[in-house]
Amino acid sequence: MAFWSKKHASRPEHRFDLSAATYASLENVSLKLGDRTVLDDVSVELQERRVGLIGLNGSGKSSLVRLLNGLRFPDSGTVRIFGAATTEVAPDLPRHVGFVFQNPDHQAIFPTVEEEIAFGLTQIGFDKKDARKGARAFLKLHDCDRLAELPFASLSEGQKQLICILAILVMEPQILVLDEPLTSLDGLASRLILKKLKSVEQRLVMISHDLSTLADFDRVLWLEDGKIRMDSVPGDVLPAYAADLDRRAAKAETGAHAL
Amino acid sequence: MIAAQIPGPSWLHSLPTRFKLLVLLVSGAVLFPVDDILILATCVGLVIGLYASLGSKGLVQLRLLRPFGFMMVFILGLHAISGTVETGVSVVLRLTAMVLMANLVSVTTRMDDMLDAVYPIFLPLKWIGGSPRKPALAVTLVIRFAPVLLNVYGCLQDAFRARTGRHSSWRLIAPLALQALKMSENVAEALTARGGSKGLSNND
Repeated sequence: MAFWSKKHASRPEHRFDLSAATYASLENVSLKLGDRTVLDDVSVELQERRVGLIGLNGSGKSSLVRLLNGLRFPDSGTVRIFGAATTEVAPDLPRHVGFVFQNPDHQAIFPTVEEEIAFGLTQIGFDKKDARKGARAFLKLHDCDRLAELPFASLSEGQKQLICILAILVMEPQILVLDEPLTSLDGLASRLILKKLKSVEQRLVMISHDLSTLADFDRVLWLEDGKIRMDSVPGDVLPAYAADLDRRAAKAETGAHAL
Repeated sequence: MIAAQIPGPSWLHSLPTRFKLLVLLVSGAVLFPVDDILILATCVGLVIGLYASLGSKGLVQLRLLRPFGFMMVFILGLHAISGTVETGVSVVLRLTAMVLMANLVSVTTRMDDMLDAVYPIFLPLKWIGGSPRKPALAVTLVIRFAPVLLNVYGCLQDAFRARTGRHSSWRLIAPLALQALKMSENVAEALTARGGSKGLSNND
């Protein structure tokens, strides 16, 4: 596999070790957006198959997951994917770390479903004809072949998110990072997409505001003000977080300073 | 972000992309010096006929272009104020013919076909060490997202009307520009998340 440059191949910094137990790690990572600190000296190692991220808006969740895919880079500290520093392997990160956005309309670049799927294949080196064929086969495999010719805009919200997820899965990443993938969905679509996500072999790192969706994950990180406030199994973290929300809501007024 | 598209197949979908773009280019060049209102109006009529040839789904697409209509009324208004109504009419007719035609090409062409069609133009970039894939993708995105921007403008108009009862205002131009910027940010992030314009295997 010659997806990293040969001259770098000898240095571990530049190499993905796909057999490593720790697939992602942050070492003393800080990140600023403008003059606001969104991540403040965060260190964490991820080994679990399914990791959930919770926290209020602005707590740093979205920034953290964007670090994993190379959409952002830390101002200080190191982010590693399979042992390789993201700053060193940036162009190859999307091959190993797939990223699903909250709003499917922000993710789909192409007008029709088949093109959207085929794009992922051309990205990893398929020629156009094979990419189209591959996209068809992949859609069929996931029981979505009847959507192939349809304009993305004409799909239901659930179908849109499913296609966005398939468009990432077709690139066969090892890690699937999801930034609130269920937020725009109705109750049924949300359950079905979650079921689909749990059926894939990829490691999942998922942000969610719906705590019940993370109940059977292996580990949950609770972020607050750019730091990890709690890091444990869902059975511990989720009730603590919910209790904290209730306490805050009971105390605060409903004015601008609270929201 | 999603671009508008007329679901195929149709005779326009099956025309070769390069042919469609060539027709667009030639008719643009030919129409440019024409001032005759009758000729221009005939052209607009012909283009609308092309939409109609796709049946109801073509005509629905025309309705999506209403925001563009308001823009044309605005231009005409400016000309009326400055006393050049006749020039205004021919400008508006020429613009309408061209935009309708460009839009028609855009909504009946698969984006990857479009990419293939414009790709050779940028091949010379290879000689100076550049990547022809980047500008080809950029051009495609521009062609692709023109109808989307019209749609965004329509939404802004609705929001404006819901609170003012008035149709449209020059004040929508600033939010439209902001939304366009935000949209380009989203598209850029979505593209980066999947390996960017270069692709992952360094294929040019």
